[in-house]
Amino acid sequence: MTTSASRQFVSLLLQRVLLGGIVVALWWWGATRVPSFVLPGPEKVGKALLTLWQSDTFVADVSATCRRVLAGFVLATIVGTGLGLVLGASRVLARFFEPVLTVFNTVSSAIWAIFAIIWFGISDATTIFVVFMTAMPLILTNVWEGTKTVDAHYVDLARSFRMSRVHVLRKIYVPTIMPHFFAGARLAFGFGWRVSLVAETIGSSSGIGYRLRQAADLVQTDQVFAWTVLLVGLMLLLEGGLLKPSERWLFRWKPSARQPSTSSVSSSVSSSVSASVSVQA
Amino acid sequence: MSTASVLSAHGIVKRFGAATVLDNIDIAVRRGEVLALVGPSGCGKSTLLNILSGLLAPDDGELAVEGVPAAQVRDWRRIAYMFQEDRLLPWRTVRDNVAFGLEASQLSRADRQRRADDMLELVGLHARGDAWPHELSGGMRSRVALARSLATQPDILLMDEPFSKLDPQTRTQMHEELLRIQAGNGMTVVFVTHDMEEAVVLADRVIRLAARPGRVADVVNLHTLARPRVPTAPVVAEQVRVLRAAA
Repeated sequence: MTTSASRQFVSLLLQRVLLGGIVVALWWWGATRVPSFVLPGPEKVGKALLTLWQSDTFVADVSATCRRVLAGFVLATIVGTGLGLVLGASRVLARFFEPVLTVFNTVSSAIWAIFAIIWFGISDATTIFVVFMTAMPLILTNVWEGTKTVDAHYVDLARSFRMSRVHVLRKIYVPTIMPHFFAGARLAFGFGWRVSLVAETIGSSSGIGYRLRQAADLVQTDQVFAWTVLLVGLMLLLEGGLLKPSERWLFRWKPSARQPSTSSVSSSVSSSVSASVSVQA
Repeated sequence: MSTASVLSAHGIVKRFGAATVLDNIDIAVRRGEVLALVGPSGCGKSTLLNILSGLLAPDDGELAVEGVPAAQVRDWRRIAYMFQEDRLLPWRTVRDNVAFGLEASQLSRADRQRRADDMLELVGLHARGDAWPHELSGGMRSRVALARSLATQPDILLMDEPFSKLDPQTRTQMHEELLRIQAGNGMTVVFVTHDMEEAVVLADRVIRLAARPGRVADVVNLHTLARPRVPTAPVVAEQVRVLRAAA
């Protein structure tokens, strides 16, 4: 690393620490002025976090939520990519099914959650279904858009080497669609993660969402905050530890390593309710 | 058409809608020659090249590769096609771009990489194998595209105005490069150009097409013109002038 780059890194790190400090200071100051069931202070939330960490159900709850989100997301990826490719390949089908997609994108996740309760009851399927219905249209739309950007020049190039359709799909279509897919998948994962909590609050007897509602019902505001802090931490870890690096590696061929906006995944749990209303991407 | 010609077209007709683009074209490409197709825009020279490549079917007439009718030709990969644009895939390194055409063959990955490196060596870019296309200049990109076409070791190289987007100096370099490689492996080259100077510098024969409908106007033999041909040399300049006057 060059000196200017490392200096830049240190500067960025200092800015992040400063930002974190300001937030905690404001939080602490605010907590001293209102009752703790409205806004518990940092040390109270820290204690709650520790109790949470040591509780028997903690690992089970976190892994249950992760499992449901992942299952819904993987299903959405498979179905969304497949349908996106089909719609991209056929203009006739695309024109026919376009309204369906609009409907999917307009229906709120909260409505899907209510349907899921009616159809699946209190079970894993409820959350998985809601995540799927939220994430799938996003991935579908992006993959479909991606197929539209495939350069006919490159397809002709592959044809000039007498490549088969499968080769053209693998070597021209997939790499072209990849950035679009990634953008869609990232958005879908973020939304899916948030709506999973909404689904869990009403349609589950375990998981982070369920615990959140439980804590809220018992006015254990410090626990609600503890879960929130935990979720934010988890998202930041996912963003910085998995998404950013894999994106940097996947798209290392791009001229200027311009990254898409990062706000899609790392947003707090408090926005989950509003997110479910504004799923339109 | 005699079977001695490596690529022959007989009575080729191509229509796009009501317009007849090519009308009864006869062409015989000799083994190891460099043949230029020139003519005004709209004379169907690119269409003719596409038909010669086997990628575009003519409405009438016959195409034969080494005397074998097009319908029975098994190995079209002996014919390589170089486009007007370099068409390097931005998500592949230079080496992987060169190896691209080989991926339709049975070669192992190691063999493909080795072949790609050999080709990069041939066009003088062996040090840039790991670079991304966007990091290269226009001339380098053109070399990579040439290396990609050569990697499949074609007997026939078809080129559609391949150097037209390069600046004059780089274009001259690419001409020398192409002639050097062609002299080395003796492949047959057929190229389309609107640049008479390029045609005279490169070609053994020039086929001039006339437009509306596209047809062969005349064939100019340049075998006797000494190589290397410098555009500024009087004999070359004279030949270019004659060709331009005829157009």
